[in-house]
Amino acid sequence: MTKSGSLSVTGYLKLLRANWPGLLLPLVAAGTLGLFGNPLPQLMVILALLFAVLVPKESAKIAPFALLAYGAYGFFVLHALLIWEMQPVLYGFVHASRGAYPGWHTSGPLGLVLTEAVAFMAAGIGLLARPGAPGGGAVRRAVAELRGTGGEPRTVPPLLLIPVIFLWEELFGQQLWFGRQGGFGLESWPQVIAVLVYAGGVAVVVWLPRAAAGLAVAGTVALGLCGVLWLWGVVGGVHWLWANGFSVRLGTDPYSTLFYGAVPLDGGITEPFAAVQAVALLGVGCVLAPRLLTWGADAELAERARALAQRVDGLTTSRSDATETAVAELRRIERDLHDGAQARMVAVGMSLRAAEQLMIANPDAALALVVEARETSSRAIADLRDLVRGIYPPVLADRGLAEAVRNLALDTVLDVDVDVDLPAEPPMPVAAAVYFAVAETLNNAVLHAEASTVKISMKHTDGQLRTRVTDDGRGGADTSRGTGLAGVERRLATFDGTLEVSSPAGGPTIVAIEVPCALSSVKTFSS
Amino acid sequence: MRVVIGEDLFLLRDGLVRLLEAHGFEIAAAVGSAPELLTALTELKPDVGIVDVRMPPSHTDDGLRVAIEARQIVPGLPILVLSQYVEQLYARELLADRAGGVGYLLKDRVFSDAAFASAVRDVAAGGTVVDPEVIARLIARRARSGPLAALTPREREVIALMAEGRSNAAIAARLFVTEKAVSKHAAGIFARLGLAPSDDDNRRVLAVLAYLHS
Repeated sequence: MTKSGSLSVTGYLKLLRANWPGLLLPLVAAGTLGLFGNPLPQLMVILALLFAVLVPKESAKIAPFALLAYGAYGFFVLHALLIWEMQPVLYGFVHASRGAYPGWHTSGPLGLVLTEAVAFMAAGIGLLARPGAPGGGAVRRAVAELRGTGGEPRTVPPLLLIPVIFLWEELFGQQLWFGRQGGFGLESWPQVIAVLVYAGGVAVVVWLPRAAAGLAVAGTVALGLCGVLWLWGVVGGVHWLWANGFSVRLGTDPYSTLFYGAVPLDGGITEPFAAVQAVALLGVGCVLAPRLLTWGADAELAERARALAQRVDGLTTSRSDATETAVAELRRIERDLHDGAQARMVAVGMSLRAAEQLMIANPDAALALVVEARETSSRAIADLRDLVRGIYPPVLADRGLAEAVRNLALDTVLDVDVDVDLPAEPPMPVAAAVYFAVAETLNNAVLHAEASTVKISMKHTDGQLRTRVTDDGRGGADTSRGTGLAGVERRLATFDGTLEVSSPAGGPTIVAIEVPCALSSVKTFSS
Repeated sequence: MRVVIGEDLFLLRDGLVRLLEAHGFEIAAAVGSAPELLTALTELKPDVGIVDVRMPPSHTDDGLRVAIEARQIVPGLPILVLSQYVEQLYARELLADRAGGVGYLLKDRVFSDAAFASAVRDVAAGGTVVDPEVIARLIARRARSGPLAALTPREREVIALMAEGRSNAAIAARLFVTEKAVSKHAAGIFARLGLAPSDDDNRRVLAVLAYLHS
């Protein structure tokens, strides 16, 4: 009892150690304590603690994302303090306020808030990027896409466009676009423009992912360059023009709301941050720029590889189907011969042998046996005839597909109107597959459709042998019922052929058979 | 009665020769390929030709084509076509000239040698003999539509047997009725098909052709 108890305690500690990031969850929750004055944060801390202790695995999965969210919240705090003059709050280890420390208002605590926010996000990303990290799949996929090893860049590189638009928008003045009070209502035309720019960005990301990735990379490089130029004092002038030109004209507050990334554009001690940002943006842009080319190339290659893989899958399936069908067909022929003609010929031999013995003693009985032998041989011939018809119909062999289909029509109890226009013959295997498809379709029309007339049209256009069988029956054909059409479909699939059935209740039933093929061989018969 | 035989398989050709000789036919020629057959048929002009559908050189329907061609060169040349299979399409083509003197039978009908010999004589006499297998499939079709839809079921049976080349007596025996009853049915058929009373044999051929072509 004690032993198992101590064992489970060790096991639990091991589990806890393996999932140590989960323990960060209550810490992050504690970070929200200073944000609100009500009991909600305390409750959250208690819940997070319980969660981390009771379900360590799930906590470990959530913790990195909680860190990311908390880091992102840091940026929000920073902006809120600067733009909207939010009440002082506790963020992480910093009591962040704008007005509490006159003279420091953009360098001290706010710089610390920025540092903290970056650190929290870096911690979150670091946790996710660990090999085998819980919840890290998406991050690894994103990294693979950014490195150009994850096939076509469908998600992360195009999505970069949205934050890039945000950074540019900051540079031109958030108030300019989002209104003086930071409201999100459409109060002036700059706001309309801002909304349109974001909507356009989203549209590009969704419909033109490659263009979005290109714009994002170009925007990142340009932002980095802007930062460098600003540090040299060039953009300051440009910005001054912006601030004193457009924003004044638009009636917004110059300077106070303009940012370079996370750094307010009002000079002073924030310059080192701006330098770090500029270098980082330029670096990221320069690393990603050459990938643009390979992304495109990779995307094309990946597309081709995917198409090829699909084709190989299709061929593998149809080949194995064809092999199976062929084997099943041989089995059927073997069985038919064995039970039919072969057995009957044995009977003929036995009758003749008996007749031989009775010839002298009982000529009448011998004669009866000979007659019996003759009748049995007739039946054997009839069996063989049916068998051969099922293997390769004689008219198809003699005259080709068009005449064979006409013969089918003549053999059907329904009135069949045949319109076949083939200048030459399709390859024999294709002809046989199409012939049996038409035969099966006619058979269905006779047995199930209660049709009185059938129209068969067959022509060769755009490298496709197109056959259409229409009956005026009651429709409602269930293609999943019965194996006849399924077998025909499999046989057609060997040649990349298709069979489609349209059969609304009340009719008409239309069966369309299409097989890609060339008409090459010359007709064997000219009538 | 002079016969030309076109059959490429030696065993069958030999068998046919012996069978026909045993029934008093004179074999004018027995050949094994389509070109030889055409020459024999058009030059010897036999009373009847017996032709296998599948023959060299192409081993498809060479025999059938020779039969049709020979009848174009020598109109009304009686020909009985034999085949391992009977096809509606080929039956149609053979009967297309509506001239009579045509037969189309499965090869194994040869087993009943007396019936076969009488079929050969019927064809030679200008009759039309079509294999019961072709007839059976036609019946399924004709029962639904066409000018013969007006016939009674009994009349349809009678005309089917006529098409197989049977005499009134044979039809009567087959249907277990008197020969007189068969004549009555035949008259009914002719009336319904609008065939004026004339030479009875000719009307028979026309009725059968109407039946096969409708």
